[in-house]
Amino acid sequence: MNPLGSLKYHLNVNLLGRSFLRFDRMRLTRRMRRVGFWKNEYLSPPLMTSPWLKELIASHYLKGRYANGHGPVAWVTSGGPVEFLVALGYYVLYPENHGAVCGIRRSAEDLCIMAEGHGYSRDICSYARTDFGAMLGGKTPVGRLPRPDLLLCCSNICQTVLLWYRVLAHHFKVPLILVETPFLYRDALPHQVDYVKRQLEAGVEVAEKVAGRSLTPSALGLVARRSKEASLLWAEIMTCGKQCPTPITAFDEFIHMAPIVEMRGEQFTVDYYRAMLAELKGRIEHKLGALKNEKKRILWDNLPIWYRMRRLSQLLAERGVAMVASTYTNAWGELAEMMDSSKPIESAARVYLHPILNRGTGHKLETIENMAREYQADGIILHSDRSCKPYSVGQMDQREKLAKEMNLAALLLEADHNDPRVYSDEQAENRLEAFLEVLGA
Amino acid sequence: MDMSTGKITIPGRTETIRAHKARGGKVAAVFPIHYPRALLRACGILPVEVWGPPGMDTSQGDAHLQSYTCPIVRAGLTFLLQGGLEQVDLIVVPHACDSLQGFGSILLDFIKPAQPIVPFYLPRDSGEPARRFLVAEISRVLDELCEIDCKRPSSEEIAQAIEREERADSLLAELLAQAAQLPISDRDLYRVVRSREYLPSEEFKEAAKALLERKTEKARSGIPVLLSGIVPEPAGLFDAIAAAGGRVAGDDLCCSGRRLYPKGKGDDPLVRMADGLLSGPPDSTRGSVVDARLDHLMDLVRRHQARGIIFYSMKFCEPELFYLPQLQQGLQAAGIRSVVIESELDQHFPDQAVTRIEAFLENVK
Amino acid sequence: MSGGDVHALGIDAGSTTLKLVALDGQCSMLWHMLEPSQPRLEEQAKRMLQEASAKAGRELGEESIVATGYGRNLIPAGRRITEITCHARGAFAATGHGGTLVDIGGQDSKVIVIGQDGQVTNFVMNDKCAAGTGRFLEVAATRLDISLDELGRVALDSKGEVSISSTCTVFAESEIVSQLARGQPIEHIVRGLVRSLIRRVAALAKSAGISAPLMLSGGVAKNPAVREFLAQELSQAVELPNHPQLMGAYGAALLARADK
Repeated sequence: MNPLGSLKYHLNVNLLGRSFLRFDRMRLTRRMRRVGFWKNEYLSPPLMTSPWLKELIASHYLKGRYANGHGPVAWVTSGGPVEFLVALGYYVLYPENHGAVCGIRRSAEDLCIMAEGHGYSRDICSYARTDFGAMLGGKTPVGRLPRPDLLLCCSNICQTVLLWYRVLAHHFKVPLILVETPFLYRDALPHQVDYVKRQLEAGVEVAEKVAGRSLTPSALGLVARRSKEASLLWAEIMTCGKQCPTPITAFDEFIHMAPIVEMRGEQFTVDYYRAMLAELKGRIEHKLGALKNEKKRILWDNLPIWYRMRRLSQLLAERGVAMVASTYTNAWGELAEMMDSSKPIESAARVYLHPILNRGTGHKLETIENMAREYQADGIILHSDRSCKPYSVGQMDQREKLAKEMNLAALLLEADHNDPRVYSDEQAENRLEAFLEVLGA
Repeated sequence: MDMSTGKITIPGRTETIRAHKARGGKVAAVFPIHYPRALLRACGILPVEVWGPPGMDTSQGDAHLQSYTCPIVRAGLTFLLQGGLEQVDLIVVPHACDSLQGFGSILLDFIKPAQPIVPFYLPRDSGEPARRFLVAEISRVLDELCEIDCKRPSSEEIAQAIEREERADSLLAELLAQAAQLPISDRDLYRVVRSREYLPSEEFKEAAKALLERKTEKARSGIPVLLSGIVPEPAGLFDAIAAAGGRVAGDDLCCSGRRLYPKGKGDDPLVRMADGLLSGPPDSTRGSVVDARLDHLMDLVRRHQARGIIFYSMKFCEPELFYLPQLQQGLQAAGIRSVVIESELDQHFPDQAVTRIEAFLENVK
Repeated sequence: MSGGDVHALGIDAGSTTLKLVALDGQCSMLWHMLEPSQPRLEEQAKRMLQEASAKAGRELGEESIVATGYGRNLIPAGRRITEITCHARGAFAATGHGGTLVDIGGQDSKVIVIGQDGQVTNFVMNDKCAAGTGRFLEVAATRLDISLDELGRVALDSKGEVSISSTCTVFAESEIVSQLARGQPIEHIVRGLVRSLIRRVAALAKSAGISAPLMLSGGVAKNPAVREFLAQELSQAVELPNHPQLMGAYGAALLARADK
């Protein structure tokens, strides 16, 4: 936090960056409007808001590049109660999201290898290995990651993050705020909610100290309101998938979820989703489906296979199979109603206990069953993600029950969300083919 | 213990369970790792821990759990599905990692055995909010236990149960501290040490005391090595260490050394219980700070004059695997050698692991 | 090698080959024996020892013998020492310095970090997966109908390379077949296979922590492409001691000599 750092930030981000990115967005938009721009036989063109999304993501990482020296920086888990950090003016980086970007851009493998070269086992989460690779000096496609001044770890997505963040804390020698969310085998109990609330309160104190400023209720309230609004919009966007044909597939949602995950609490996130929803409603009105010829509808469970999304999307589209929803993208919208921006800390204590990953395997099954009914699904692909035990354990029983009791074509697909070495195109596509045959596609 | 031949005879799990049930008590199967033992005992329930067992053909369990799940959990589920827990009145599943979390959840939601499932969450922090939570969590477990047809113990009874367990824990600590001077193989020593996992504390204390009485002046021969990890299974591990000229000096195992809880502080017995649990040694499964783990390991090495550390981790065990690189780095900087050996809970200790232990011991100074 | 009295014998009973090295009083290699490992390892070892005694002109007692390798427990020897310690000893004596020894055997691979005083400071082993071992190339050579000896030269001379991505030797074989079916030239595939093996070995080396200089040993070290690709992958020169395949037996013999 120094004048020179801030100057650099303003110059590169607000002056140069903003103009360049805005220009790029206009250029892309123009290109999309050109006749003959889109040549895919099976998939409809991407949303017109896509260049804006690209701008938001690029801008986010650009800000990160110059954040050190301009303001406090925090690294946060994807399910973290980030609102108070945003309200305190932190630049927030999500190592998991960065990991996904590396996965999509095919740079995760090298980063994993770098981490493994330093002794990190191949049996730990590939997001963590990607992150450790970057931490240890590996090349990242986003340019440069800012050093954290603070770490925030919330265990509502898995227990591994605590171990991951302990490693980061040891490496960077910065404070770690731990917000433990006891796993909900059944319904939440008062002492669990109370525990989360007290941890949040303690966390706020630490964050204030590191940032060198106090959290005002008005700032927190504003961020919480935006967070809720964006989550509600995202939830509504999800429901567009109920339409036949669906105007959007889960593959697109995996990309468009970036703002709600890593830019939650910002006004531009609200604006973006409002525009995106409007465009989707327009498509629904004109019966413009994401697939030119939708014949079957399926769900996806677990994280995406980041390094194979395009290929899988094309493969399914060629067979007229539309992925109408996923438990993963849904997770950032399903709790929107529970948020109460007038009591941000209390409500956060409850909300952040309830993501699907922090709840029992029975609850996930119920969620999928409801989804299958509401979205009129014919089948489901359950990605058995080697790197994600909390999401994957229970899938075998879930698959059984979905196939038998709901008569869905249900495929358990073994892979990994970020490590391509665990994935074989031949083997996976063989299984997919068999699944498509059962589906009748 | 049979003094005449010098062999230690410890009743096995089945015998112990039978004896306890004959006395009219209930038995709980308890999965790893940390849980309030005294609470179960106060309710007249004998906790019998399940750490595998090793050597199982887990195909039955594998129908519910993917192959990248912890081998202990897969073995435990298979054991349950094969009727191994038939004699048991309830099942306690502590929360230590994603594998155990998923296991507890599928037991509750899908497998649904006849026995009630009691989950237990140990906080990974130890500040005031964590303490407060843990007391409430222990209280919730107590309520659940009482619902399973148990008489609610008085405050006094709980306090007495705590005292009994604390005495047993301090004897266990002494056993591990004096291991060098006990005229017994590591394999036999650990039969006694691990009987803590199922013997009533009073019986364990007798066995421990009897063994401690045989303490000699001279230290056992063998290159002293610190053993760190989850659980020393299969027991062929001890044979391999002995055959390679080593002996276990210092214990950083989840089943034993990492559960040496100090005496808890607090007037209210539940507060005291929580305090004891939260004050245990630094443990990766409790998400301890890396430096705390490192300091603890170096302290153990110093105290027992170990010439190196064998990290005996369980395949897929994230808590262990995440910490190892930074720990090994710190140890190397302090001139302490270590080797990592992975277990898959096989029946027989694999040859590849034997070679690693031999190579390690051949080269420690 | 010089003639002279045999003072010590080292036997390396690997899963692919059985090696025997005889040392003279000055710890120089006198002669050696090398045979493919037979199913009845005990009998084979006994026979080789008899032949060695005959060659030495006297009965060689157990006190002069150290056995190492996967089958060491089956061999009558004064002492049995792991291949880690033996390879380190052998490489240190052969090169005169420490460093990182990469040993690629028929069915296992290992990396041993040797201190400047010859001591083993770290080691990692791959003995669970054939993909980083000589077996990988053997399977490929059979499938492509090329001799193992030719394989290295073909890989080096190839003007192109096809990436082989399978993590498993068995699946790599299927991958070879599908690449051939696609019309890919054999030499491109061979080059890709060696690359694949080296990547795995390099990853193992990195996990052990590379301390220069790099040295290579093991039967697969004779393959010229292996040395070159390893040097490329790890961006440093790779030293090849004389008799790379005998490092284990040589080290064992040195340890037998030291015992006396």
